[in-house]
Amino acid sequence: MVTREDVENIALLSKLFVPEEELDGLTKSMQEIIDFADAINNAPVSAEGFDNINNLSNVFREDEVVESYPVAEILKNAPEQAEDHFLVRNRE
Amino acid sequence: MGLINDIHQKLINKEISCTELTKSYLEEIEKSNDALNAYVCVTGDEALKTAEAVDKKLASGEELGLLEGVPMALKDNMSTNGISTTCCSKILTGYKPIFDATVWEILKSQNAVMLGKTNMDEFAMGSSCETSYFGGAMNPFDINHVAGGSSGGAASAVGGNIAAYGLGSDTGGSIRQPASFCGVVGLKPTYGAVSRYGLIAYASSLDQIGPITKSVEDASIVFDAIAKPDKRDSTCLGAKGGETYPKLNNDIKGMKIGIAREYLDGVRDDVKEAVLDAAKVYESMGAQIVYFDLPILKFALPVYYIIACAEASSNLGRYDGIRYGFKAERYTGTHDMICRTRSEGFGEEVKRRILLGTYVLSAGYYDAYYKKATDLRGTIIKAFNDAFERCDVILAPTVPMTAFEKGHATSDPIETYLTDICTVPVNIAGLPGVSIPCGFNAKGMPIGMQLIGKSFDEATILNAAYKYQQAAPEKFTDTKWGVKL
Repeated sequence: MVTREDVENIALLSKLFVPEEELDGLTKSMQEIIDFADAINNAPVSAEGFDNINNLSNVFREDEVVESYPVAEILKNAPEQAEDHFLVRNRE
Repeated sequence: MGLINDIHQKLINKEISCTELTKSYLEEIEKSNDALNAYVCVTGDEALKTAEAVDKKLASGEELGLLEGVPMALKDNMSTNGISTTCCSKILTGYKPIFDATVWEILKSQNAVMLGKTNMDEFAMGSSCETSYFGGAMNPFDINHVAGGSSGGAASAVGGNIAAYGLGSDTGGSIRQPASFCGVVGLKPTYGAVSRYGLIAYASSLDQIGPITKSVEDASIVFDAIAKPDKRDSTCLGAKGGETYPKLNNDIKGMKIGIAREYLDGVRDDVKEAVLDAAKVYESMGAQIVYFDLPILKFALPVYYIIACAEASSNLGRYDGIRYGFKAERYTGTHDMICRTRSEGFGEEVKRRILLGTYVLSAGYYDAYYKKATDLRGTIIKAFNDAFERCDVILAPTVPMTAFEKGHATSDPIETYLTDICTVPVNIAGLPGVSIPCGFNAKGMPIGMQLIGKSFDEATILNAAYKYQQAAPEKFTDTKWGVKL
């Protein structure tokens, strides 16, 4: 059972605000989707398990230094920047 | 029809210059994009610059590669250096990557002429292209119908002859479903055949880039070009099955084509009939049709939505208004700034999937949903492996219906999710699948069918698809739009 409190809590974890007037509608739609997802609990219990698609395993390689992107290039997309850093203000 | 080989011949025979060709595509985009809404960004200057380089090569008598000078389009979730890449989301407004996705690096090095970036559902989450921040792409067969999603813009552009081919991405059907709706060919390669480097992630264990084209040959040509191993994507092994193009015309006599009965459940009669008619065409070519059951398929859709949303909730954590894209204007602290940026920047469907993904990953629900879904993923993979003991390829509908009318898909999420029922199993199992046209409904809207193969066996499904295209060319029809060559 998905409750309003669940949705509020999940929204906080997701760093999303849900306006009060949308809470009931969203709770209902989350409940419907969870009911739909619950179908998997009727599936036969699997012994297979799953790790990754092509049975890849980790490999090790030498840690080589390669060229990186210049700071100025990376900062081009930042909404705000100062002194070669991303700028995060505590207030607008 | 503007097929790759035809364009190539016209270029090398100097029937048309690459600049003239590119201009004619750009003019047609200008004329029809208001109606089709296939492109969200047109890169005319860059396209003409590449065309000029191709013309110079032609003038100096140098040999041209097959894809050289061919006008094409990229879905707007593939990174293009210095060119806007938004995933059709407000949250990536103004973002211009500083690097190229591997697929674009490969094609660019072959002088592919990129006309622009194509429309898509926001972050590839949707089946109608209508969750796009820029509004939906429309179907070239009838613009009152959607192009499908999420790679709706690419399918609309190819079907509407305003790109010779496009690259899409397929997480749960996003290449095959719009290809089916728009009467074109869409190949979702094996997971790991094509590099995902520079593809903005939705669900990393399911995402795969592939071509949307007008013909099976074209899908094969583009796939062979882009399926290369890539150090920057550790899951990418390239085309382990080798090149597909030389095998297209192999005889399919004796090929075993499987039909899993579950794929036909709940499918509309006209679609089912078209797929079963195609099976008869295969029989007439000497293939053998094998029926079997794949009961685990009924769990594929919830398994898909749990895994995809869980991965999305993690992948989309990076959008915080600090490093790129949109940032909320008013806020009262860092946490507030991030929450406002995300709440104002993401659309409704994206937020719903982030919330759902966070829910199934949270303490108390992880075992019941996420863990159970990944275990079932293993069972589904095994079921497909067993099925391929009995057949070489699986034939199925691509979508249970034809393209829906505008606005139909946005009302009920579950109903919309159900349209993905035939496409998601391939992503869960990491298999290759190609959708090709196989008929029309009473209103003249295209019906698509899907050929599914073993891992890294793109060659066999494209071979089977090509043979069908040769036997039933009337299903591969053109629309009234765009460049006529």
